[in-house]
Amino acid sequence: MVDADIIGLPLWYLPALVIVPMIVLVAAIKRLSRFAHTRSTPGEAPDWSVPPVDTAAGSTLFHRWDVRCKLITILVYSFMITALTQVTMALAALGLSCLALVAARASPTRVLLRLLAIAGFVSMFLVIMPFTAPVRVGDTVIVFGRLDWLGFNLRGLVLAVTITIKAVAITLLMEPLLATAPLPVTLHGLAKLGVPEMIGQMLLLSYRYLHVFRHEARRMAAGMQVRGFRKRTDLATLKAVANFLGMLFVRSFERTERVFDAMRARGYRGRFPEPVELRLKRRDVILAGGWLVLGIALIFLDRLAWQG
Amino acid sequence: MHISDGVLPISVTIGGYAASSALAAWSVRRTEAEALPKLAVMTAAFFVASLVHVPFGPTSVHLLLAGLTGALLGASAFLAIGLGLILQSLLFQFGGLTALGANALMMGLPALACGWLFQTFKGAAPTRQAVLGGVAGAAGSTLSAIALAALLATGGEDFFGVAKIALAAHVPVILIEGAVGAFTVGFLARVKPELLKPAFTRRAGAPHG
Repeated sequence: MVDADIIGLPLWYLPALVIVPMIVLVAAIKRLSRFAHTRSTPGEAPDWSVPPVDTAAGSTLFHRWDVRCKLITILVYSFMITALTQVTMALAALGLSCLALVAARASPTRVLLRLLAIAGFVSMFLVIMPFTAPVRVGDTVIVFGRLDWLGFNLRGLVLAVTITIKAVAITLLMEPLLATAPLPVTLHGLAKLGVPEMIGQMLLLSYRYLHVFRHEARRMAAGMQVRGFRKRTDLATLKAVANFLGMLFVRSFERTERVFDAMRARGYRGRFPEPVELRLKRRDVILAGGWLVLGIALIFLDRLAWQG
Repeated sequence: MHISDGVLPISVTIGGYAASSALAAWSVRRTEAEALPKLAVMTAAFFVASLVHVPFGPTSVHLLLAGLTGALLGASAFLAIGLGLILQSLLFQFGGLTALGANALMMGLPALACGWLFQTFKGAAPTRQAVLGGVAGAAGSTLSAIALAALLATGGEDFFGVAKIALAAHVPVILIEGAVGAFTVGFLARVKPELLKPAFTRRAGAPHG
């Protein structure tokens, strides 16, 4: 082993310091996800014509902010967060994201769902990285009992924690970014920023039919269950699932023709009507500028701390 | 498995955005202009299909379907996968904002490779098509897993351990995707063989109207 501070701890510390916290983490994620899912699906059959993304009809700072400024600012700022390397600066970014969350009055359930969605991937880093990060000069490694090969590298833990905080900080910004304007308005803003209009249209269409097909898939699954199908780990299940997918594709494919014919019958010529007229105010630009300056300051402090 | 925000180095995230935008533009050019709305509807179908969970012992895995998407959509698959990922971050809270480009590459490149493989060697016999569908399904998730590990490894030596374990975690997914790919293509070959030709793509070299 290279020059590293090695702290020897008795073997029984391993369950106390590592295994128990891991189990608590996994259990907490499971529990929260069950809670969030029961909270978020109160009833079936939502109204397809109104996308749930625009439930927010509020009038917070984020709702009034010009959608183009909002998109650019949050996207660029998210990249800035990605560039951070220090735990302290990542924490500062997290604090700023929390402020944005409060300012946008985001729905706590949806925020929780977003956090749970990244929980699995991020916990993989928290669990694996401390044990696999290579030992470098000046690292602190905790060794439990005689398990020399299982060194718990504190630098790996710090790195994993930094990644987690950065991931959470960006994820928290998604609700203020996306849930404070109706989806067509957000896509219109993207089109005004130079994203090809066709992409926005395709997103709207996919979004609309996603609900239709989900509904259809649920009906097909209910039919299979009524006929006695239960999912198991065997080849027969895979075959049934494959037939299910095949049927879904056949039905959807036939539907694409009918959808397109219906669109043309209603006068579709490669464009959807514009949902809103966007007007840029000075306030929008000042907010965007101020936020980005804050981001640059974070990066600056981050690099400064790294050198010092 | 999708890469979340804050994991990849900033150069990789920006490079991922640049490369996937270029590929998406290519994919749009290879798709019939008339067929873009239809492709959007089909994207929704693939999206719903990727939400299906398959039990695996005590847990369950959900399908990536990169290989199958490629086999059925050909060159349009990259566009479909990109749209699917954007929708996923809008709607289902998965997937990141900054990692979007890298995720699109991770799923889209294998889809294109599998699409090429399938369309080149599929022949006419349903059995052969089913076998090839299985190969495409398994290859799609294998290549995605390798891409995931490679992207993670760009973070430096500290990320190698995580990359290796992420790669190992994909082994059951690869087996399941292979079987599902073979059965789905077999089903389609019997029920609706015209779906196995990429209906939305124009032939390479055809003039762009």
